[in-house]
This record gives sequence, C-alpha cells and structure tokens, in this order.
Amino acid sequence: MQELLKRFLPFISLLVLCLLIPLCEYFVLGNDPKFITAGNLAAIFRQTAVISIMAMGMTMVIVAGGIDLSVGSIVGLTAVVGSMSMVATGGAVLPGIAVAIIVGAVCGLINGTAITGLKIPAFIVTLGAMGIYRGLGLYISEGNAVVGLPQSAGYLSELNLLKVIPVPLLLVVAIALVVHFALSQMRLGRYCYAIGSNIEAARYAGINVWRYQIGYYTILGALSGLAGAIETSRTVTGQPNAGETYELNVIASVVIGGGSLSGGQGTVVGTIIGSLIMGVLANGGNLLQISPFIQKIVIGAVIVLAVTFDEYQRRRLNNAEG
Amino acid sequence: MSEKIPALEMRGIGKSFAGNQVLANVTLTAQSGEVLALIGENGAGKSTLMKILAGVHHPDSGEILIDGQRRNFERPADALAAGIAMIYQELSLAPHLTVAENIFLGREPRRGGLLKAIDSRRLNAEARRLLEDYGFRIDPQIPVGRLSAADRQLVEITRAIVEARRVIVMDEPTSSLTTHEVEELFRLIRDLKRRGLAIIFISHRIEELEEIADRMTILRDGVAVFNGDWGSISTDEMIRHMAGRELKEIFPPRQTTIGEVRLRVSNLSRPPVFSGINFDVRAGEVVGIAGLAGAGRTEVVEAIFGAQPASGGEIELNGERISSSSPSLAVDKGLGLLTEDRKRTGLCLNLSLSTNITLANVGSMLKNLRLQAKSELKTTQGYIEKLNIRPPFPAMPVGRMSGGNQQKSLLARWLFAGSKVFLLDEPTRGVDVAARSEIYREVNSLAESGAAIVMVSSDLPELLGMADRILIMRRGQMVAELAARETTQEEILKYAAVEEG
Repeated sequence: MQELLKRFLPFISLLVLCLLIPLCEYFVLGNDPKFITAGNLAAIFRQTAVISIMAMGMTMVIVAGGIDLSVGSIVGLTAVVGSMSMVATGGAVLPGIAVAIIVGAVCGLINGTAITGLKIPAFIVTLGAMGIYRGLGLYISEGNAVVGLPQSAGYLSELNLLKVIPVPLLLVVAIALVVHFALSQMRLGRYCYAIGSNIEAARYAGINVWRYQIGYYTILGALSGLAGAIETSRTVTGQPNAGETYELNVIASVVIGGGSLSGGQGTVVGTIIGSLIMGVLANGGNLLQISPFIQKIVIGAVIVLAVTFDEYQRRRLNNAEG
Repeated sequence: MSEKIPALEMRGIGKSFAGNQVLANVTLTAQSGEVLALIGENGAGKSTLMKILAGVHHPDSGEILIDGQRRNFERPADALAAGIAMIYQELSLAPHLTVAENIFLGREPRRGGLLKAIDSRRLNAEARRLLEDYGFRIDPQIPVGRLSAADRQLVEITRAIVEARRVIVMDEPTSSLTTHEVEELFRLIRDLKRRGLAIIFISHRIEELEEIADRMTILRDGVAVFNGDWGSISTDEMIRHMAGRELKEIFPPRQTTIGEVRLRVSNLSRPPVFSGINFDVRAGEVVGIAGLAGAGRTEVVEAIFGAQPASGGEIELNGERISSSSPSLAVDKGLGLLTEDRKRTGLCLNLSLSTNITLANVGSMLKNLRLQAKSELKTTQGYIEKLNIRPPFPAMPVGRMSGGNQQKSLLARWLFAGSKVFLLDEPTRGVDVAARSEIYREVNSLAESGAAIVMVSSDLPELLGMADRILIMRRGQMVAELAARETTQEEILKYAAVEEG
C-alpha cells in the first residue's frame, strides 16, 4: 500500500495540478482556461525538454548512488563550444551539435574518472567541476555571447514535425525510451541499481564498478551537451551563461519523480513526471500571475517535501524489517 | 523464592507488520539474578520481541510489567528509563567518538559552572575503570571506528551494562568474539546476576548457552512454544521445538572422489596481516580454515578473491596462474566468495531476490543486449526450490528476508555464476538450524559435483562436521593442518590460541 502510494504519488500530483490550474484560471481570475490549449501544452513540453533530457542522464547517475552538480555548467560550455564550431566552419550546424555532445561527454568522463579514480565524493568533485566548466566557457567566449550563427541553427528547437510535434519533444521521447530500456532491461541498468543499492556488494559480485560509474557520468555529460546545443538553438547564439541553475531543476525532477539520493531507486517514467510537475508549476504560476519569486519558493519547498517523503518511507520500511 | 515478582514480564504480546503476524500472544518472564535464553530460528520473532521491549516497536496487544508494574514504552528512552538496556546484534556505536564518549553517550559527567561542560578527564577515568573491571583491554580514548569488530562489541556491552538497572538484553553478543573474550563476557554475566539483574541472552549456539542459561523460552513463528528450566529438555528436543520437525542429521555425509588441484596458494602475503600462506584445495574437497577472530582468515580469502589484493605470492586456479587484483577477474575465472558480512558486502538489500541471485552472472541472461525476464524468473524459481528459500517470492526485496534465506540467496548467486572454487567465509553466521543444514547439504552436493571449497568458520563443530582437512591460522600464519576426522575441538584450539603475554 505504502509502496503503491509512493509509486503513484508523483503522477497523482501532476494530475491534480493539471486540474487545479485551469479551475483557478476560470473561477479565481475569471479567464477562459488558457492552460489546456494546445499551444500552451506544447510550450510546456518545449520549456521542459532541456531539463527532461538532462534528467534522463541524471536518473542513471542518481540511481547508481552518485550526483552531478556540474550539468548546468556543461550546458554553458557546450553552448559556447558548439556555436563557435558552427561559426568557424561557416555554418555547419550538425557538426556543431556533434561537437557540443562530444565535449559534454568528455566533461562527464572527466567527472566520472575523478570520482572513481581519486575516490572523492561525487558532490565535491562535481561542485568543483561546476566552477571549472562554467569558467572555461566564460574564458573561451571572453564572457560574450557567440554570434553569427546560421539561421538553420534554430531548427533544433523551433522545427515542428508534421507541423505540430516540436523536435525537442521528439528528442525527449526518443531519449526517454532508450534510457528506460537501458535501465530496465540491459546489463547497464541492472548494474546501475546494484551499484546504487550497495556498491561494495556490487564489487564483490564481480561487477567492474568504476567502469560503469564512469559510463553513467559520461552519458549524462553527453546529454547535457545535447541540451547545450538545444539552448544554443533557442537563442541562435552561444550563451556562456546558458544552463545556469539547471542542475537544481534536473536533480529536483529526478527526486520528485521518486529517485532516491541515497541510490538504488528511480525510474525514467518518474523522472519525466517530475520534470513535468516542475514545468507545469512554472507555467501555471505564470498563467495565474503568481510572482516568479514565489514560484522559486514553491519549487524549493516541493523538493524538500519529496526528499522528506522518500526518507520517511525508507524509515518505515527499515523499522518493519524487525 | 518461587513466589517473587519477576523483574520483567511480557504478557500476551502480539504484533503484525503490514498484515503479517510476527508475534502472537507471546509470554515471557525473566527473574532477577537469572539468565533467560531466548532461542529460535531466524525470523521466529526474537528481534521483534526485543525491539518491543526496547520501545522501538509498539505491540498491537499485550502488556509489559517491570517488577510487577505495568509500563508503557512510547519510545526507546522510556525503556531505558525503566532500566532496560540492549546490546544489539547490529552495532550501534558512533564511530568517530572515542570509546569513553560512546560508553557515556548522553550521560557524560559534567563540570559545574554555567557551561556544564563535559568533564573529559572524569569521563575517561571512569571508562578506563569500567573496562579494567570487566577485563577488557581497550584504550578508552581511541575512536571506536578504529577498533576491531570484537572490541566494538565489548564497548557496546560495557555501555549497556552502565545503562542497565533491571534488565539487560544481549542479542547474539558473542558472534564476533574470540573464545577468550566469550569467557570474559560470561564472567561478567555471572557478576551481573549477582547484582540482581535479569539477563535475556539470545544466541544460536546451544553449546554456549549451556554454560550460562538458567531458563529458556523458545520461539517459533512468533509463538512461544516452550518455557522452562534450562536442562529440562534435551538438545534434540530443543532443536525440534525450534524447527518444528526432526533434524536427524545436521551434517549429512557425502561421497566424493578427490580430484586434481583446483586452487593453489603459494606464499601469499600482505604483512603484517598475513604472510607465507601456502595451501591447495582439490576438486571435491572441503578445506576448513580455523582460527580466532583477527587471525587473518577473512583477509586471506579476500586476497584470493582480489577484493583486498595481497602484496606478494601466487594464486593458481586449475593450474593457471592468475593475477587476483579485482573481484571481477576472480569471478571470471570461476571463483566465488560468500562474504563474512552479507549486509555490507553481499546483498543489495532493497533489490529483489532474483536480482541478487543473478547479479554475478547477468551476462548469461542477455540476448541481444536485453535481459531475458523469463529466463531470470525461471532461474530464480529453480534456486528457490533447490535451496528451499522462504518466502518463495522472486520479486521480494531481499532485505525483508531472514538471515538464513539471505545467506541461501547468496549461495545461489555463486551457484548461478558457475563457480568452480567456493570461498565460504562464515557461511552460517546468524543462520538458523534448519537453514544451516540446507546450506551444508548444498555444500556437500557441490563437493560431490567436483567443486573445490574453502570454508572459513569460527564454529568448530561445523568445521569438524564439514571439512576434510582443517588449516589453522594464528596471527597471520598458517600454523597447522589437521585431518578433520582425526582431530578435536581441543586440539584445534590449542593451535589457534594466541599465547598470552
């Protein structure tokens, strides 16, 4: 019963929000509900796409018992490097996107290697990396936005497939399917849960723990690079400040979706719902004309609530073991 | 004498977790100045009953009386205030605090004045006096995290004794202690009896209870099936009460043909922990390793497995020299290590039984990168049946199973991994009698099928019953090799004991 509640709580919360917001619009503000229009829903997906993509990778890292605070900075760095490559090659967009993804993967690889090789807590390593990557992006771009990108750079975020489905949404769905499959049905995913549940037990079972851990960080890095490319596309410039504070939203998506910061728990479906909850909260807040500052407070409180609930569940289970 | 009010009475205690009845109408009495042995298999409800006494859990029904007074424990502090102290199986000390700080945690002697600062000098002096009184050789000023498991257990005991005024509960206090330390503990318990405390002693080792128990309560499936004086029934009857069935033979015989050498260890060393370790194990053979706690037995098998690599020496598997630098290499070569501490280095507690069983051989269930759920389920069900794992639910988190079933699931892991050489480190620690005999039966059938088995154990009857040869370690050295059939516990102890002074 408790477990069912835990599993469905994020989903129920999302449903409640989706009902509450249009009702408030209608009865409190006296407007026609804008929330449920196709345009608004598409906007929510578009706005949450970047966070969702990164949260897929973060789900792996968190399930494996790690964390990565540097993802927002990777977005900034790869936005700069990717768009510089586009400018340097005279407008080659696809290679530029590839550069962003590769640079992101390298950043993740470095994080993973430092964490496993130096045996330093992930929190500390990636806190440092957060400063390093952000500083690197600012240094390379001299603090200015990279301009002069071709118009086609905007396609990645603006284009709609069949005129209705935004490309970022398509990417989210594709990546979610792949990561879901990996986590639930591949060796990579099985080891992910095992390592997060008990890293020593995983090692004694003969799992090459460090190799897999580095892998999860690298995948997260690559996805953050893709996020950097999408951010570039949104503004058709390479902003060194892109992705600032994204790490918070990304981690919050995983945690609200049932991922446990102590590892061994978390699902792709949960994370998607988590990031939608965050997106709907922000969107609804705007529609209901709630100050964005208040929204920040609410989102912070939701994160604390989600972690509290997770802890409370764990304690109940531990006590019941007798 | 017989009409005195018991120090502790638990009447009609019932408790359910999530619809599972764990205890039903359990009654237990402990008199002042007596040792009550609480025995039963894992999962019989002993720990739950004691957690109710400690105020950790609340009973659904029943009442607790201390010296005839009805008491209600809302939280652990209430039980403590009523003079009840616990020594838990799982250690509950703060590793960064010193021995003395742990012993007096929450009751530190204070200096006068406004600040009421902790009086460290008195704290350390009192801790030192206590430890010396009890005959424990432990420096009160070093952090608990630096102590061995056995010493930590002794600190825990000391702390409980300081807290206890009426009742002291010891939940398998001897599992990590050496023979000598167990003697000290028993001396202490006799002293506590004289002081009028009621002692509840939980243990799996009947031989050990023989020495100190006055009365016993036997639990089976949450019901107290026997209450009476120690010695009023035979050991066989006790086992029958615990298991609910006859256990004809704990150590079944096996028919093996000893084959060629599977594992050869030459001059394996990691000073100062162990050095110059030489032995070999043949197909079909069970080789026991005996020794006191701290003799280096666990370290040797962990070195063979590559979990903590040795600094020198050679390991040959099936005549092929292997570099054992990591467990993943060892597992690839057909080694399996059933570790001494299943919660720390064995199980992923929140993951399912089937995930835990298949963890060391996930590759064999892959087809085009995809885990075959059906073959995993079938594999798991096969081992559930083969090893009689209870409850038989492949999707159940293994952390909710009893110690014996957890151990069986780990044995299943190495069976499924297709190991040829099994290193079993304390394979039956904290495992109940029924599960033990199932593990023994499986070890025998492994030997019969040509596997080579190394069995580290502190349980000498187990080694004598299971091993072909027994190697004895003392202070990191291999000091003797005895044929199990021709030796005795006394002879093994003579070699294993560390000369004092």
